[in-house]
Amino acid sequence: MEELITELKKEIIDVLNLEGMTPEDIDSDAPMFGDEGLALDSIDALELIVLLEKNYGIKLANAAAGKEVFKSVRTMAEYVSKNRTK
Amino acid sequence: MDNGITSYCRITNKAVVVNGEKHTIPRTDSAWLSDIYHAENLSYPKFFKMDNLAKAGFLGAELTLQDVGIDKTEPKKNIAVVCCNRSSSLDDDTAYQQTIQNPADYYPSPAVFVYTLANIVTGEISIRNKIMGESAFYVMEHCNPQKFCSFVRGAFSDKTIDACLCGWTEYNNGNCDVLFLFVTRNELNDLELNIEKLYR
Repeated sequence: MEELITELKKEIIDVLNLEGMTPEDIDSDAPMFGDEGLALDSIDALELIVLLEKNYGIKLANAAAGKEVFKSVRTMAEYVSKNRTK
Repeated sequence: MDNGITSYCRITNKAVVVNGEKHTIPRTDSAWLSDIYHAENLSYPKFFKMDNLAKAGFLGAELTLQDVGIDKTEPKKNIAVVCCNRSSSLDDDTAYQQTIQNPADYYPSPAVFVYTLANIVTGEISIRNKIMGESAFYVMEHCNPQKFCSFVRGAFSDKTIDACLCGWTEYNNGNCDVLFLFVTRNELNDLELNIEKLYR
């Protein structure tokens, strides 16, 4: 799981252009959205949905499920681990 | 301050100067603007999502307001934000174009697209500092103190405005050229001269 978490952190930094940030700067359990943690917003959610589809073959059709999936990098990794098709 | 401006900040590719004092910014493998962010011990995770123009403006505003003592948590309607530059958002426009350039790898990135407007800078600064007064972004050929001042004076034509956070906020192709000032109504008389002096 830790390997997948690090992989996801690198991909998040890449797709969101978080220049100057390293995987070590991201707390695996911190909230990804809102004012804390990565402070992501709805535009970034779009990028994360595309990331799941492109890199892991996961189609996230249910917006409500997305709230749970994108709570933290760890919840995202757990979801990817269970649902990935590639 | 002896130059009649409450506070100012100058950022170029070579140096960061706040109210006449040169700040020490250790160079790392990261980008220059990230080096400044870390060296100044700033804490605003959204910084890393911004494009270079917004980062440059954000840093200029943060350092200018450092000692002004405004409450970032309290909404303020009596402060205006006025920025101007030469290249508008061309730096991010170019980055966005690259995401749609190759038909085989066509992906119009929303995270890049949101910064393809120069006035996003004034929005980011206003959100960060809860500034709710008028904001404007102007594009002009070069940093012309006379025009710059006329824009700032325009903001003060609204009698409810007591102060203006204003800046020349240029970033394009790796070149950073920023001058930010916090100006009160009483400081308008010598503003043109001061901008000329501080921008040199």
